[in-house]
Amino acid sequence: MSYDLVIVGGGVHGCTAALFAARGGMKVALVERGALAREASGVNAGTLTMQMTRVALIPYALRAHAMWANAREWLGHDVGVVVCDGLSLAFTEQEAQLLSYRAGKRREAGAPIDLISGTEAKSIEPGLADGVLLAGHCRVDGFANAYLTGLAFQRALREAGVDVLEYTPATGIEREAGGFAVLTSAGPVRGKRLLLAGGVWIEPMLGWLGIRLPIKTLVNQLAVSERVQPVMRTVVGIANGLLSLKQYPHGTVVIGGGWQGIGDRERGGVELVPERLIGNARLACHAIPALRAARMVRAWAGLEAETADALPAVGPVPGIPDAYVCGSVHSGYTSGPYIARLLAEHLLGKEPSLPLFPIDRLLAPATGREGLT
Amino acid sequence: MGKVNKGAGAIADVIVAGAGPAGTNAALAAAASGLDVVLLDEQDAAGGQVWRKPLDGLNGLPETAELKAGNALRERLIASNVRFLPGRRIWSVSGQYRVDVIGADNPEFFEAPHLIAATGAHERVVPFEGWTLPGVIGLAGATTLIKSGGIVPGNRIVVAGSGPLLTAVAAGILKLGGTVAAVVDIAPLGAWLKALPALASVPSLLAQGAVWTLAIGRARVPVYRGHAVVRALGNGRLEQVVIGPVDAAGAPVAGSDAFTIDADCLCVGNGLVAGSDITRCLRAGHTYDRLRGGVVPVLDDAGRTSRAGLYACGDGYGIRGAAMAESAGVLAGLAAACDAGAISAEEMQRRAAPHRATFAARRRFSDAMAGMMALRPEQVRAIAPETVVCRCEDITRGAIDAAIAAGAKDLNQLKHFTRCGMGPCQARMCGDVVAELLAIGTGDRAALGALTMRPPLRPVPLEALLGDFSYSDIPIPEPAPL
Amino acid sequence: MRRRCEDDRESITIMVDGRPLVARAGDSVAVALGLNDILKMRSSPAAGAPRGAFCFMGVCQECAIYIDGALRQACLTRVAEGMVVELRGVP
Ligand SMILES: Cc1cc2nc3c(=O)[nH]c(=O)nc-3n(C[C@H](O)[C@H](O)[C@H](O)COP(=O)(O)OP(=O)(O)OC[C@H]3O[C@@H](n4cnc5c(N)ncnc54)[C@H](O)[C@@H]3O)c2cc1C
Ligand SMILES: Cc1cc2nc3c(=O)[nH]c(=O)nc-3n(C[C@H](O)[C@H](O)[C@H](O)COP(=O)(O)OP(=O)(O)OC[C@H]3O[C@@H](n4cnc5c(N)ncnc54)[C@H](O)[C@@H]3O)c2cc1C
Ligand code: FES
Repeated sequence: MSYDLVIVGGGVHGCTAALFAARGGMKVALVERGALAREASGVNAGTLTMQMTRVALIPYALRAHAMWANAREWLGHDVGVVVCDGLSLAFTEQEAQLLSYRAGKRREAGAPIDLISGTEAKSIEPGLADGVLLAGHCRVDGFANAYLTGLAFQRALREAGVDVLEYTPATGIEREAGGFAVLTSAGPVRGKRLLLAGGVWIEPMLGWLGIRLPIKTLVNQLAVSERVQPVMRTVVGIANGLLSLKQYPHGTVVIGGGWQGIGDRERGGVELVPERLIGNARLACHAIPALRAARMVRAWAGLEAETADALPAVGPVPGIPDAYVCGSVHSGYTSGPYIARLLAEHLLGKEPSLPLFPIDRLLAPATGREGLT
Repeated sequence: MGKVNKGAGAIADVIVAGAGPAGTNAALAAAASGLDVVLLDEQDAAGGQVWRKPLDGLNGLPETAELKAGNALRERLIASNVRFLPGRRIWSVSGQYRVDVIGADNPEFFEAPHLIAATGAHERVVPFEGWTLPGVIGLAGATTLIKSGGIVPGNRIVVAGSGPLLTAVAAGILKLGGTVAAVVDIAPLGAWLKALPALASVPSLLAQGAVWTLAIGRARVPVYRGHAVVRALGNGRLEQVVIGPVDAAGAPVAGSDAFTIDADCLCVGNGLVAGSDITRCLRAGHTYDRLRGGVVPVLDDAGRTSRAGLYACGDGYGIRGAAMAESAGVLAGLAAACDAGAISAEEMQRRAAPHRATFAARRRFSDAMAGMMALRPEQVRAIAPETVVCRCEDITRGAIDAAIAAGAKDLNQLKHFTRCGMGPCQARMCGDVVAELLAIGTGDRAALGALTMRPPLRPVPLEALLGDFSYSDIPIPEPAPL
Repeated sequence: MRRRCEDDRESITIMVDGRPLVARAGDSVAVALGLNDILKMRSSPAAGAPRGAFCFMGVCQECAIYIDGALRQACLTRVAEGMVVELRGVP
């Protein structure tokens, strides 16, 4: 049998695209080498924020935020979304300058960010430390509980009639008459169209099609405290973007911000750098002093994908009709559902409401196209 | 020692993590070969769990063989040039090799090309209704109170579970003048008789067990063999223990009479778990070995792991008991010395020989004991749906079964579905029981492995991790692109 | 819990939920509470069930309560004169 669409990779991009394609009437198979949303999409910090999103993505992220805020309607299952205020802090003059500039750019792109004083910031977030010079305040912020993503999508995809093949690694792709055969540990899975949504593994996946798209692998470290009494009620970041901090309703505080661990695409996030865990924790406690009394119980690392221009890879694969790619979205958990839905709309023959991010710009001239990096 | 951000790390030839019988012997062997050795432990004194040092200022504690062995070990350590740093909790191991600790005023780290992991085992308690009540404590925890504090943990104590710690704890309580209301051993008498020839292979230890058993008999303590705790009852703290018969596999006998014993303390344990914390964190090769207490590193005959420069010894990396932990420690210390070039391969073999012999001679005994302590799958299967399995998050057997029914197929996924293992103990209390529950459906316990191990190895107060710092000290990385 | 050996150590006073409690220098907070027959240390965060020290060796985390304002493991923390112990754990 042949599917209308075979998707390789079951993160937030692959899952969302599968969901909307199936709801649009396509017969969809989703091939995932492990369990759904257990790589970046299941281990990320879950921050749904404009203040860490790339300027070019703000319009997408705003729409995606609205989707997350009513996930129950389109996803149908809980991922623990909390909508709250977000603060990006500046403690030094230099950071204040950086913040004014960055917040200004994001504001121009449509993010409702106001610059406020330290005192005003403290009235919004009483847990804040003294010494804040300036803060970016965004009312469109919040977070989800990323580890619930897999369970939520698993249920939604089953209800939508998607054939989900978990623990089924794809090992290659063959082009054949009328479409593709995705070679897997469980035999070939055939489809008229193909979507590669493999996160940092998009590079090897495109390689199966003879396309070379370099994808940088970021190894992001995160840490979590045990449950503590309320110490904060907003999402707190810092001007340069290297802090993301929030407290979940059950009391745990997740400390992140993109501090780098050790690992790669082949081995995963193999090791955490203690110095950087300490640095991140110091930054967190500098912003929210009451955190000092908490205990860190766990740290981990996940892999985030980045293209050469740090903008998404979302659209058709040049020169290979009916093959598509979706990934490498910066702060991709925030924007993922909207971006992947756009691609599903494109596949269903609808005009996407915002433009995609075709990868032609990123391909080396060697593949016959002009590189724009 | 290296303070984070303030100067380089303290460099040594070898770092030994854990100062129990295994780690201390490893450190002594490596130092005697001329290496500069740092030995770290979170306790104030060497000795580990089994040879724990009594608190200073307590007098009249029974002179046990373990106390003597511990004192001898501590004296050898003092006489050596091992740099022993007590009161240091290891929270991170990384690189080739860096060990980060808290415990001093500021966070510190140590670096060495050789790391010997010897952090010891922890106890397994197979859950039953009421096991979370105050007054119910681990058997191993009871040994700690008895040995280092001269404390009996209750007025009327039920001692229950499996393995040699049962008699050790019951006898220890009696020796201190306490009252044991009952000993409840999951193993039938037949199982002990079957093990007897193997136990007799180390006469001194068999004799010790016999002395304990006699003491229990003399005190006319009822001993229920082939029985297990069904539930613990009480209003806010333990008041009664219900016990009932089990079959040879450890499963409750259906329809049989359970009965109730009044008690204010229940010491209960079902063997030891080899946490393999450090080797798992550093991703050495591992295998599942039920007899050895779970997922354990693959080791050569001198304790080398699959990673160059990383060694493991003692019960934390395969349950074998204190006597073998000592020999394993010496072997690992010699292996590190040999690999560091401090002694030749021939020298190593020569010095290792007697310890290899001890190791071999104790193996039969140790296997038999480990067998009595190994997890009994039937006992796990019998856990009732409403019983809490994950203590940190109050997750019941029923909730775990529901997540498995919803499609959770591996341990990390089960954790995401239920939060089981996300609490502060990081699945150390429930992990291998949960894996056994998951294996009921998948059929292959070994293939499930263990949850991914990550730092911190134990929860760390952020306060302790921060140390003194100023904002400008924080090495803030380059900002992400706009 | 009862101590069944001679104890030459000095007595000190710790504050437990605002009330003074006599303890022996060198004991852990968990032991000091147990010897004063305080077994319940906190309620579990999810179910609100009573909990007390369980493993006495730093693994189970059941004894993590507020000691001098921060969450600490009572079985690993030694008593000190004037120490402020709160019989509550994580919320
Ligand atoms: C630690 C961390 C923190 C982050 N924090 C945030 C945040 O707070 N906010 C935010 O918006 N974004 C955050 N991000 C970014 C965000 O998580 C990612 O951009 C997003 O989840 C990427 O989704 P994806 O579907 O493209 O990739 P992934 O989730 O990685 O999915 C790719 C899938 O492909 C599968 N796969 C790979 N190879 C094969 C194969 N051969 N066969 C079959 N399947 C295969 C993988 O198993 C995986 O499930 C963070 C990322 C990390 C790593
Ligand atoms: C609580 C307990 C009681 C026991 N009682 C007995 C008994 O009475 N009789 C008997 O025969 N066997 C007993 N056993 C079995 C006993 O563990 C072993 O036979 C023996 O102690 C093994 O020695 P070891 O050196 O491998 O580990 P251990 O003796 O456990 O030594 C490990 C050392 O590592 C330290 N450590 C662990 N993690 C860290 C960290 N993150 N940072 C710093 N230091 C760390 C610990 O403080 C400890 O001192 C007991 C086991 C336990 C867990
Ligand atoms: S009693 Fe288990 S950690 Fe203290």
